[in-house]
Amino acid sequence: MNATASPPARKNAGQPPVLVYENVRKLYGDFVALKDVSLQVQKGEVMCLIGPSGSGKSTLLRCTNALETIDGGRVLLDGVPLPARESEVRKVRQRMGMVFQSFELFPHKSALDNVAMGPVTVLGMSQADARARARTLLDKVGLGDKAQNFPANLSGGQQQRVAIARALAMEPEVMLFDEPTSALDPETVGEVLNVMQKLAHEGMTMIVVTHEMSFARRVADWVVVFESGAIIEQGPPAQIFDAPTVTRTRDFLGHLGWNG
Amino acid sequence: MNFDWSVIWTHRSALLEGAALTVGLTVLTMLLAVPGGIVLALMRLSSNKLARSASLAFVEFFRNLPLILVIYWAFYVMPMAFNVQFSPITTALVALVLNVSAYNAETFRAGINSIRKGQMEAALAIGMSRRQAMFKVVIPQAARRILPVIASTWVSLFKDTSLVSVIAVGELAYTAMQIRAQTFRVLEMLTAMAALYWLMGYPQAKLVDWIHRKYGVKE
Repeated sequence: MNATASPPARKNAGQPPVLVYENVRKLYGDFVALKDVSLQVQKGEVMCLIGPSGSGKSTLLRCTNALETIDGGRVLLDGVPLPARESEVRKVRQRMGMVFQSFELFPHKSALDNVAMGPVTVLGMSQADARARARTLLDKVGLGDKAQNFPANLSGGQQQRVAIARALAMEPEVMLFDEPTSALDPETVGEVLNVMQKLAHEGMTMIVVTHEMSFARRVADWVVVFESGAIIEQGPPAQIFDAPTVTRTRDFLGHLGWNG
Repeated sequence: MNFDWSVIWTHRSALLEGAALTVGLTVLTMLLAVPGGIVLALMRLSSNKLARSASLAFVEFFRNLPLILVIYWAFYVMPMAFNVQFSPITTALVALVLNVSAYNAETFRAGINSIRKGQMEAALAIGMSRRQAMFKVVIPQAARRILPVIASTWVSLFKDTSLVSVIAVGELAYTAMQIRAQTFRVLEMLTAMAALYWLMGYPQAKLVDWIHRKYGVKE
């Protein structure tokens, strides 16, 4: 065995990747938001995308479930390129849950109905079955007692946990997190990260855009560093945080006060 | 001066019938102009250029014409132009619905646009279609937000129905004017008319105030 010379092992490396990005390019007018980004996500992997604001990590996440259209390259889910037709895109989105920085709970629905709404509207599940599923999921994120609350009567951390339950209600294969804790008060960040860590332990495939470096260090299986619309380095957290091979990764982490 | 207020009591049933028709016209107009406004707003926000232009043209046409002109137009021009003949009440309804739909369209459009883009994205992300996202997530929130504006439109409409008296629709204003013409009791009838409009309008205005307090945007 020549373990030291081989590239770092990926989780489930023997299996085909769940998601593949091939030379993904995204333009906003003249601005190139993604410069031919290529990347793979393995099944059951927690991948953290880090990097300065505006470096393209959120854009890549939004291209994953076609909230943004891409201007070049391909995104493949289980080897199949994302479809172009709206009706087929919906099928793909059902397989990916998404959690937003600003929660985006539906303010006119209770926590329970926020979670039940996807199964009812999209899967045609009965109201009773969907609510039963929603209750289970709210219990799972520690909010079983808040089922009847409306979003306005929940703290930021609680809202974000409901949003995670809402995404899980569609039983997705992949979860996409777009800076899930950036809009939270510091004291509620932990409760959201704990739920995410629990999901990770259950083997959920997760892509997490985050500025929470200690979370990435602790939970991620693979860390990808973005700068100016391109990947400058990727590897296991031990490499990225303790021994980055790229100077700019070190600079970025240094700016955040990370010192290994 | 010599007043004869009994003329009001004598003609009470005609006046009440007129008032009932005023209320009926208002209700019926709104019942048609709310869906009309939603359809126009959705056309305006659609990706289809033809639908967008058609809606814009409709709204800008009817919003910028005096209502009384639209009423005359519906009464005199529509039968000639489109070869249709409606009763005065139906004609009045057509004119009012055209006008109020145009206003409602702008209200709904503003309401829909005021809902954060993230709400639509969150709905799409769980797999909803655009239509489902619009009707289950965006419009219910927009409706709540624009309820105060719709209520104000309602009160304006209630008073503006008096304009259809020019095409002999027997609502409150027309009825009162008819009685005035028969009895020559100008001051009495105008006073009665003012009292009736005010007595019906004031509670509505108070209701609108209450709706503003309850549903108005407080952000």
